Amino acid sequence: MPSTPALLLILASAFGAAGLYLALAGRQRSLAWTALVLLAAAGGALIALLAPHLAGGATRGWFIVLSLLGALGGLRMITHPRPVYSALYFILVVVAVTGLLVLMQAEFLAAALLIIYAGAILVTYVFVIMLAQQADPAPYDRHAREPFLGCVAGFILLAVIAFRMFAGASDLPAADPLTGTTLGLGTRLLTNYVIALQVAGVLLLAALVGAIAIARRKAENVAEGESD
Amino acid sequence: MLLAYLLVGATLFVLGLVGFVTRRNLIIMFLCTELMFQGIVINLVALGRYPLEGHSANLDGQVFALFLLAIAAAEAALGLALVVLLYRYKGTLDADALKLLKED
Repeated sequence: MPSTPALLLILASAFGAAGLYLALAGRQRSLAWTALVLLAAAGGALIALLAPHLAGGATRGWFIVLSLLGALGGLRMITHPRPVYSALYFILVVVAVTGLLVLMQAEFLAAALLIIYAGAILVTYVFVIMLAQQADPAPYDRHAREPFLGCVAGFILLAVIAFRMFAGASDLPAADPLTGTTLGLGTRLLTNYVIALQVAGVLLLAALVGAIAIARRKAENVAEGESD
Repeated sequence: MLLAYLLVGATLFVLGLVGFVTRRNLIIMFLCTELMFQGIVINLVALGRYPLEGHSANLDGQVFALFLLAIAAAEAALGLALVVLLYRYKGTLDADALKLLKED
């Protein structure tokens, strides 16, 4: 592995860790621009590092836009002091991931992800957040827990993963064309993975029954008309 | 191209991990696990689309990602039910307030 990519990788990880540390809850607002500049530097270094590995054409532009959108949404999600905005930024992440899946010709999975995550799971989260919403951001939302250790651990993990990946990425083969992914996916689900499909159905039923059981036990303890 | 997708997946996963460790709101901690799931979905689909040496592109990664969606839905339903229960019981969403098993 040549030294320039390694240096860029270490720089990107260090900038990312510093920027995230400054952006996490509990810091001064005046540092927000510093954090943004550091994170932009990290993103630029990562893109420069990836440039030789990206395919050409329109895919490259879409990939850069969508991955930056996803990373930015994830960043705001874990740094925003208001839980509702965190959930909304997570929808942005889901949309970006959906775009990346379309780029990888996983159209059915992209649609399923958008419908299930943005349409069902996130609605549940927003309901629960609004159930427990306070007027001001709560103290436990305004101050992060161990932000320094968290950032250092996370970005050491990222740097190690990326370092190993770049070290082994000399000549990966190009992709075969995948045709008829929805048809193929359905065939595969109902032949190779039919038992797993049944087990997933049983698991969802168990989760449904469990959620109702938890909610019922709670409803007995509170006043009438407050069950949900 | 595989490398780029894997790096995006790793970035989302690490962001979710850092959020899970540093945030103290129980709901946001659960939301961070969903962020980690997003990174894993990208990894699974990318490894199915751009296979390693000696394999051909197949749909197994997408099938795994579909099962992951089912697990995520079950996890969200049960986790949020427990969070609501704990909120009714303790009146706060602070994860540090839950020390029921700790001896004083």
